[in-house]
Amino acid sequence: MSHANMDKFKSAVSAILGVPPSEVVDSLSSESVDSWDSLNHINLISAMEQEFGVMLPTESMAAFQSIAGLKSLLADHGVEL
Amino acid sequence: MSDHQTATTHATNNAARVAAVLAEVGASPTLVRIGQGVRELRPLVADSTFVQVRLGCLSSFTFNPLMDAMWLQGIRAGCNIEAYVAPFGQFERELIDPMSGLATSEPNVVLLAVRLPDVCPAIYEDFGSLSESDAIRLVDDWTLRLKTALMSFRARSQVPILVMDFESPVTPALGLADRTATPSQLATITRANQRLHGLSREIPNIRIMEYDALVARRGRMTWADPRMALYARIPIAPAHYWSVAGLVASYLRPLLGLSKKVLVLDADHTLWGGVVGDVGTTGIALGPDYPGNCYVAFQKRILDLHRRGVVLCLASKNDEQVVLDVLRTHPSMILREEHFSAIRANWNSKPDNVADMARDLNLGIDSFVFLDDSPVECDMMRQAMPEVMTICLPKEPAELPGVIDALDCFGQFAISEEDRQRGGMYRAEAGRRSLQATVVDLPTFYRQLDMTLTIAIDDPVDVHRAAQMALRTNQFNMHTIRHSEDDIRRFMASKDYQVITLALADRFGDNGVVGLALVEIAPDAWTLRGFLMSCRVLGRTVEQGFIKWVAARAAQTGVDRLVGEFVPTAKNKPFAGFYESCGFTRMADPSAIERWTLDLKSADTTVPDWVRIVLKEGAAST
Repeated sequence: MSHANMDKFKSAVSAILGVPPSEVVDSLSSESVDSWDSLNHINLISAMEQEFGVMLPTESMAAFQSIAGLKSLLADHGVEL
Repeated sequence: MSDHQTATTHATNNAARVAAVLAEVGASPTLVRIGQGVRELRPLVADSTFVQVRLGCLSSFTFNPLMDAMWLQGIRAGCNIEAYVAPFGQFERELIDPMSGLATSEPNVVLLAVRLPDVCPAIYEDFGSLSESDAIRLVDDWTLRLKTALMSFRARSQVPILVMDFESPVTPALGLADRTATPSQLATITRANQRLHGLSREIPNIRIMEYDALVARRGRMTWADPRMALYARIPIAPAHYWSVAGLVASYLRPLLGLSKKVLVLDADHTLWGGVVGDVGTTGIALGPDYPGNCYVAFQKRILDLHRRGVVLCLASKNDEQVVLDVLRTHPSMILREEHFSAIRANWNSKPDNVADMARDLNLGIDSFVFLDDSPVECDMMRQAMPEVMTICLPKEPAELPGVIDALDCFGQFAISEEDRQRGGMYRAEAGRRSLQATVVDLPTFYRQLDMTLTIAIDDPVDVHRAAQMALRTNQFNMHTIRHSEDDIRRFMASKDYQVITLALADRFGDNGVVGLALVEIAPDAWTLRGFLMSCRVLGRTVEQGFIKWVAARAAQTGVDRLVGEFVPTAKNKPFAGFYESCGFTRMADPSAIERWTLDLKSADTTVPDWVRIVLKEGAAST
């Protein structure tokens, strides 16, 4: 559990998608945000890699398209949010 | 406060914030920083002084991910980019069709980002299957197609077109054999690039961008992230978006008249190491060895900029006379008074001094770049004059030359004859007389070197260098007694000693001070208490020339003998045999210390004709 990582996660999502950090909640997904298109999803995955220094699987570039999904993806790769 | 003043203050605050955000993003251009930068700056620049640019982007690969970085780099260069990005791979249709998205977006600049691997994949993926004529035909057919598309566009529009050149593969298809093979993959790509440059001469207003050089600079190996390249068709790793956008912006600057013109330099810890006001002209770090050589290299890069036409200014918190003394007298300064169009060495604030120089030179402050090692001065400049591009220098002096290499704001498409003449090229001219690649005898070789030895006696400017050589020289050293700067100063002050230094210049440049002789003076003999030479200049008779000059000078004062010792150590073997080669005879002495003497009545003290010896003016003499 890390507040610092959570803050970093929220600002990253906010910077890429343009939603305020306070709106970065588990239920947010590509279905509910217009800017979360396939290209921005790739940007999100790249941004997570840059911010947390991990390498995520190529398959994630087309999956985990929700905040809950991204969190579980990061957890699987050792990033505690 | 009047409305006008309020508006002005507001604009300055905005501009200061823009400068600060750009500096933050530049320091670590991650996707998140770039995204945050765009979101923060968009509302701040809406109403202001940026040149509006409609940029039409045509590409052979997914280009959209670069656009945030592109917009920010545009702001950094002074333009507000509104982009049209065509679907990738459709650049030919976009150029040719008068109703295309490109045409209807009415661009003022077109960017053509086409990768050769996308349009001629055989050259990259199947090169081994191509005959020489296949390879040539592929390149020529492709460039002809491109020419047709560009000319169709040019028939309707005169706006400038920026074209990325073609990159080399990470490893050539034929490996080590590539360059000598026929056909060669690298030569084929070179041919394609030559064709591109040919197009830029045939069709007006086309500029070829050095994309391949950028890839090489940043690192070909890690340029692409293979997952991004193969999954998303983005052949550039996210870590490099900022530099690709920077490359485009560096061409937009001269295109739109946004190139910087003036470089303002701090002095202490910037042009030299140390604070000259504290340590004096002779105490600053500037010379042939670390850290002084960092500052010399830095100054040489700046001189290159000056010769390209960049105006230099100096802003230093110092007494003027102290700074002028360094500029005029320090032997290792590359930048001299005449290179600076304005010098402000005083105790006023730097923003005030920059404003003052801008008035004197009649140039806008938005054409100024300011370099300083002090984060406080840099911050003050960004706050007070956000229009000035402020760059805070790294603490490590070895990183300084790289700062100049990374500057992308002074671009010009042509160097005028006047620019080229700047700064005096006499030494380069001399060096350019081409060496004949033939077998020569040694005297001919020595004469071709065009060597000048400059000798100084008890010159305080050399204290630091003399002590440094005493400390570091192990090989060509008669003993290895390490004299400190204080020791050297004492010897210089004493009537019984002379500290003689030797500087060497040749047709390839100035080597600085490379030799030291410490001489004890007695009525009947001069005794070498130190004699050493930097090993990088050994083997060209400089050491013999030096000791013969010392011998001749001793003879002039009427003494009979020049005496020297040799104390063998583990490392100073190169010195063994030196006295003998100069006509000294060994004195009978059973100890390990060899003592040698030169009878000045009979000795030949003629210096070889290929070394010119100059006694430095103004240096103390007996």
